[in-house]
Amino acid sequence: MGKYSKIILDPLVDKNPVTFHILGICSALAVTSKLETSIVMSLAVLFVLSLSNLSISIIRNFIPGSIRILIEMTIIASLVIIADQLIKAFAFELSKELSVYVGLIITNCIIMGRAEAYASKNPPLQSLFDGIGNALGYSCVLIVVGGIRELLGSGKILGVNILRPINEGGWYEPNGLFLLSPSAFILIGLLIWVVRTLKPEQSEEE
Amino acid sequence: MRFLLKILNSNRTHFEKSGRLQRLSPLFEATESFLFSGSEVTSSSPHVRDGLDLKRMMIIVVIAAIPAVLMAIYNTGLQANLATSKVALGDFNSWRISLMEVFYLSADSKCFISNIFHGSLFFFPVYIVTVVVGGAWEVLFALIRRRDINEGFLVTSILFPLILPPDIPLWQVALGISFGVVIGKEVFGGVGMNILNPALTGRVFLFFAYPAEISGNSVWVGVDAVSSATWLGDGGVDAVSSATPLSAFADSTLSNIVTWTDAFLGFMPGSMGETSTLACLIGAFILIITGVGSWRIMVSVLIGMTTLSLLLNIIGSETNPLFSLSPLWHLVLGGFAFGVVYMATDPVTAAMTEGGKVVYGLLIGFLVVLVRVLNPAFPEGMMFAILFANVFAPIIDRVFINLNIKRRAIRNGN
Amino acid sequence: METESRKKTILIALIVSLICSVLVSVAAVKLRPIQERNKELSKIENILELSGADYKDVDLFEVYKKNITPSLVELKTGRVLDETEYNEFLNVRDFDIKKNSEDENYGRDVSSLPGVPKIKRAPRYMPIYFVKKNGELKKIIFLIYGKALWSTMYGFIALGADLNTIEGLTFFEHGETPGLGGEVDNPRWKASWRGKKVFDDLGELKIEVIKGKVDLNSMSAKHKIDGLSGSTITTRGVSDIVRFWLGPEGYGEFIKKRKEAR
Repeated sequence: MGKYSKIILDPLVDKNPVTFHILGICSALAVTSKLETSIVMSLAVLFVLSLSNLSISIIRNFIPGSIRILIEMTIIASLVIIADQLIKAFAFELSKELSVYVGLIITNCIIMGRAEAYASKNPPLQSLFDGIGNALGYSCVLIVVGGIRELLGSGKILGVNILRPINEGGWYEPNGLFLLSPSAFILIGLLIWVVRTLKPEQSEEE
Repeated sequence: MRFLLKILNSNRTHFEKSGRLQRLSPLFEATESFLFSGSEVTSSSPHVRDGLDLKRMMIIVVIAAIPAVLMAIYNTGLQANLATSKVALGDFNSWRISLMEVFYLSADSKCFISNIFHGSLFFFPVYIVTVVVGGAWEVLFALIRRRDINEGFLVTSILFPLILPPDIPLWQVALGISFGVVIGKEVFGGVGMNILNPALTGRVFLFFAYPAEISGNSVWVGVDAVSSATWLGDGGVDAVSSATPLSAFADSTLSNIVTWTDAFLGFMPGSMGETSTLACLIGAFILIITGVGSWRIMVSVLIGMTTLSLLLNIIGSETNPLFSLSPLWHLVLGGFAFGVVYMATDPVTAAMTEGGKVVYGLLIGFLVVLVRVLNPAFPEGMMFAILFANVFAPIIDRVFINLNIKRRAIRNGN
Repeated sequence: METESRKKTILIALIVSLICSVLVSVAAVKLRPIQERNKELSKIENILELSGADYKDVDLFEVYKKNITPSLVELKTGRVLDETEYNEFLNVRDFDIKKNSEDENYGRDVSSLPGVPKIKRAPRYMPIYFVKKNGELKKIIFLIYGKALWSTMYGFIALGADLNTIEGLTFFEHGETPGLGGEVDNPRWKASWRGKKVFDDLGELKIEVIKGKVDLNSMSAKHKIDGLSGSTITTRGVSDIVRFWLGPEGYGEFIKKRKEAR
């Protein structure tokens, strides 16, 4: 396996930021009631994380230690605002559903975490790939959770009827719990359970 | 019985170590200890010298639940027959009525046997689904984890149907008990390790997943065709954990719908086992004299409920008639009595320390009234109150244990 | 060393801030017009949905301009304002309910009125939209709002030219429980409003959302709408909102005046 493909593939399952590091849970609960919003959120995080990793890595040798975190925050915050503006301009309906959560990417621990743990110590190209990989790992979880929640909660995938709900003349009784945020908690928990059963080396020591 | 013992003994070798069916040994063990007492006895010290083991404890809870089960069957049948009589015959087709006709029974609410029979046709399908589906999960986890099957499920499986409305679709029963057993108990490591009461976890799942069925206007009414034809449609009395007894009725209007005595005895619609306060009191009596259920918890829940509801009575409110609902009504409506006796006292999920039990009970009592009266979305609060207190029980215990340690340290002059 | 590193720190901080602020401002300024347009489009779309005009695959603004005439109405008198009276508060293009309600001259206290949908203050003037086709008045769309279970719900209700038949109802902003109260967005339920009558023959306000299902054989079925199952309070809220705004304290005076004029 090449160096770069390993950087990208590792965070998908083995070192997934959500299921392994348990980071970024807040937004994973808030925006996953539909697959569409999960995908847009994933794209926003991909945009912010890859560019923040890249730019922080480029200037990593110039950043004075005393204001390291400040500089990183400034860069991340700017990227988040730009992503938020873009979504408001080009996906207005979705931006209403995502409400404040795009803005809250700033507080998503994955981004700051990767900047600190990786981008500030590694060359730009690798940092870029690391950002992409971690964003994709986050996306995997969001998309799985969003897909399951939309399917069980409203019988749809991306707004297309899969299980036809009763109130639209079908047979499926939508499960209201999956429209509520706590269901994402349960799903992520189950997901972690599955991953750790398949890959026992991820379990923490007792 | 001898004959069963013979079969068991002759097959024992297959299940023992290196036997053909070794993997299934928990199944064998469970069958054996259910029928006879197990062959395995603790042989090394220390022993707790008490006849009360987990198995006896569970059996006593099941026995204590029997009055509630009987009332559930009778009252469900009664309400179903009453509902049926309000609908012109032929307006609905219910397999239950057809089956009753086979036995020359009509849906007559004055006929004791008819009520029992009709009620059984509601209760037992729900119970059987609970036992089969929940039991299957228990067995599956026991096999995977190579542990013995635990009797704890007997209790969960008898309590779960009692907190469900009788007309709940059976597939929802199956889903609910699956969630309760797997997420409520097994993910934490099985019996004794769970934080939340599994039966209530199953119910709360159904409550949020299918609120229309479990908390809506059609919550009760045993017969399909009459979902909204009865007085329940006007916001009548509903099962506690389930629903709207409480929906905007002050004492005066409430007594037009159901008398206090009927509510106390349980002759009103609601979740199957929760309507009769009397049955729950008998259960409480059994639990308390055998020492299985904590009287401290039960009394403190009562005190908590009474205090807060009296306080709200005094404060009063012009817009919210529930403020004036007296503690006596709080006691007999909804799932309050059932929750106090069978759910709040669950030794696994309740607080363990004696002081903790009081705080835990008071918390439940306060929360029930708080949710019932002040929360516009949920007419009933018992389920939430108990689950919420379950979550806090370990913290409450911790505080009391630490206090105890400190006290002893002071006493010993450290 | 000490001074140099301090200089360097300040320099880097300045450069990074400069670049970031330029990027952010460029994004904000360049994208603003698109965002404004989006906001307006989404409002227009809600009105057009109720207007019945065909707006698929065409320029919404064009359709809107051609079919819809927005106006403001003085609730107390039922008078439609003239455009010359428009000002900072009275502005139909972006009418701000909150700003108007709070103002002494343009809002009033409604909290003690009977049947008010749990709102404290309301505007004295509200926007309405006349839907015309080939010059003929087809519908009138009214802005309505009020509190249900969790949230303040904002919506439009469309009446036919007879000012009695409901042509549609939609809530464009609410925070009710998904799957329960959130079912106000269900197209089937919204469709069940169509054709219902707001007033009876004597002009009494009769429209109501009831608990449970409407008995189709009853005399009053044409005034009643099925409640949303499992959401008593949202149902009551919607009923109150519609009744309040179509009643005497809402658009009642306007409706009465127009009916008399015919």
